[in-house]
Amino acid sequence: MKSVPMLSSAFLHPAGESLPEPLLALRKERASALVDMPLPTRKTENWKYSSKYLKLADDMAISLPAEGKTGNSLAVPGYKVVFINGVMIPEASEYPDLDGIEILSFNDLANDEAEALPAKLGSTLNHDQVQFARLNGARFEDGLLIRLKPDAVLDQPLFIIHETSADASGSAYPRIYVEAGANSQLTLVEEYTSSGEASALVSTVTEFNLADGANVTSIRLNMEGENVQHIGATGVLQQRSSRFESHCVGFGGPLRRHDLQVRLEGEGAETKLNGVVVTQGKQHYDNHTSIDHVAAHCNSEETYRNIAADQSHAVFNGRIHIHQDAQKSNADMNNKNLLLSNGAEIDTKPELEIYADDVKCAHGATIGQLDETSVFYLVSRGIGRRQANVLLTMAFINELVQQIPVEAVRETAQARLSDFFEQTFQEA
Amino acid sequence: MLSIKNLHASVEGKEILKGINLEIKAGEVHAIMGPNGSGKSTLSQVLAGNDAFEVTEGEVTLNGDNLLDLETEERAREGIFLAFQYPVEIPGVSNLQFLRTAVNAMRKHKGQDEMNAAEFMKLAKEVSKQVDLDPAFLKRGVNEGFSGGEKKRNEIMQALLLQPKLAILDETDSGLDIDALKVVSDGVNALRSEDRAILMVTHYQRLLNHIVPDYVHVLAGGKIIKSGGRELALELEEKGYGWLGIKDDDTSN
Repeated sequence: MKSVPMLSSAFLHPAGESLPEPLLALRKERASALVDMPLPTRKTENWKYSSKYLKLADDMAISLPAEGKTGNSLAVPGYKVVFINGVMIPEASEYPDLDGIEILSFNDLANDEAEALPAKLGSTLNHDQVQFARLNGARFEDGLLIRLKPDAVLDQPLFIIHETSADASGSAYPRIYVEAGANSQLTLVEEYTSSGEASALVSTVTEFNLADGANVTSIRLNMEGENVQHIGATGVLQQRSSRFESHCVGFGGPLRRHDLQVRLEGEGAETKLNGVVVTQGKQHYDNHTSIDHVAAHCNSEETYRNIAADQSHAVFNGRIHIHQDAQKSNADMNNKNLLLSNGAEIDTKPELEIYADDVKCAHGATIGQLDETSVFYLVSRGIGRRQANVLLTMAFINELVQQIPVEAVRETAQARLSDFFEQTFQEA
Repeated sequence: MLSIKNLHASVEGKEILKGINLEIKAGEVHAIMGPNGSGKSTLSQVLAGNDAFEVTEGEVTLNGDNLLDLETEERAREGIFLAFQYPVEIPGVSNLQFLRTAVNAMRKHKGQDEMNAAEFMKLAKEVSKQVDLDPAFLKRGVNEGFSGGEKKRNEIMQALLLQPKLAILDETDSGLDIDALKVVSDGVNALRSEDRAILMVTHYQRLLNHIVPDYVHVLAGGKIIKSGGRELALELEEKGYGWLGIKDDDTSN
């Protein structure tokens, strides 16, 4: 029998020591649990289509230093926190002191403040499905704790810019924990970008803990470069009547993986997950989502669209688990895929497990190509073939892009999509 | 303007057009009538450049230039317009965006400046009134959720915006109630001019009461078997296609 590849022990070496004591202890404990962690292979069900893209070299185990340019920081119309290689850069961040809202770097926490964190970090995730979240737990150098007191409302979106700056090989482990008190409200934008050319691994964990009636919108924009392998996990816990909305826009890379796990634990909770992925060249992107309807009367609505060009490869795996007591659940999952070339590959897999008998659960997945009749209609009006292709491809995802509730993000996404079209559809 | 000589065309190896000859001059309105399956729609699609149809023989020239050598979009820019029998729904592309892109592609081809969003909006609103379409339709996806009549009016609106040299109307009357038929016909009549030709393809002669043709041709079995003036259509209505020895299950109207 062939031996199973293991995570190299190089990845388990102690990292920087600037965290408060309770978090250092947590990290050490998590690291010891990672000894002999098997790496996913094509026989690992949740990495079946993606394991071949994972290429971890020992030199990538080194923590990337928390320095480097903050890149061409876009004009952010809201509050901003900048992280470089997983460490917060206070001088690049701008957010005021707000009533009822705490935005704290893990490194700035006093020991007694930090004591409550170990029990929370990771509590929103099912780690069996997100192996690399464990690695993040063993390696994070810093993190962001966002606490909203009951009824607190953040009046503008909070942008968190995660920049990977890799002038030499290494890895970064950004971490965010959001505690949204009862009836609080927050829009959080996570933007992942990169600079430098050396090969890097980014392993992220973002967690949202929503108390009764909390309302959180999460926007995730993944735009790192061709040298960055990205493995991210987002965990969401929702209590009674809370509402969570997620908009993920991802551009492909050598390895792109995002796991989004939502647990609806309180009655009447609602979740809406939108996702758009485009890949080209030999790029890859894999979205795994999982929604657990634990309590009754919860709604979930999920819409993901993938577009794959050239020889690229996109994956969508959507799991819905309706627990025995989750009567009157309403779950709707939809995944549509567009192949722009014969060499591209898209794998889509809905997974439904339903243990309650009075639920509504719908799912649909399609894979198709640009509709020739539509192309003919457009070109018969004098529109060039290339432009017709762009219009129709954009139309495939436009509905989801338009739903992104922050204009600056929509514009950034549109600009990147234009680049994608520019490269995908050559002038005839 | 348009000259069709011995045009043969097939789809998936099956020959549909078996030698069409037709001359259309600027300012003229021609109607091609024929039963289902006679090749009417194939002729429209071939002229517009749908490459699902293969031209196996013959030639088509537009003002002396070989039309068959041109790509679909180039034919459109040279002035060919096809009003579709079944206009395509394209959710996600707004009607306004579609129309403006088309108009600007045309303007660019003619060396004119492109229209900005505000200028175009003004023009589009005027033209939408002309075909009795609520300007709210401009914001919706192309033909998305439009009724049959609304789709046909949208086709005519496009013709009015693009000002083609030759407008081909494929079964433009199908699915229209009498009010919509009137609106569509008014739109087509507004297109009539000395330097433009119109080719109507229709099963029934009803449309010809509203848009009076100069010439009527009967297409059957992939060939034009009879040509005449306006009176030919009336005769066909009275006597049915059977009168010409054509088998047709559905000529009563």
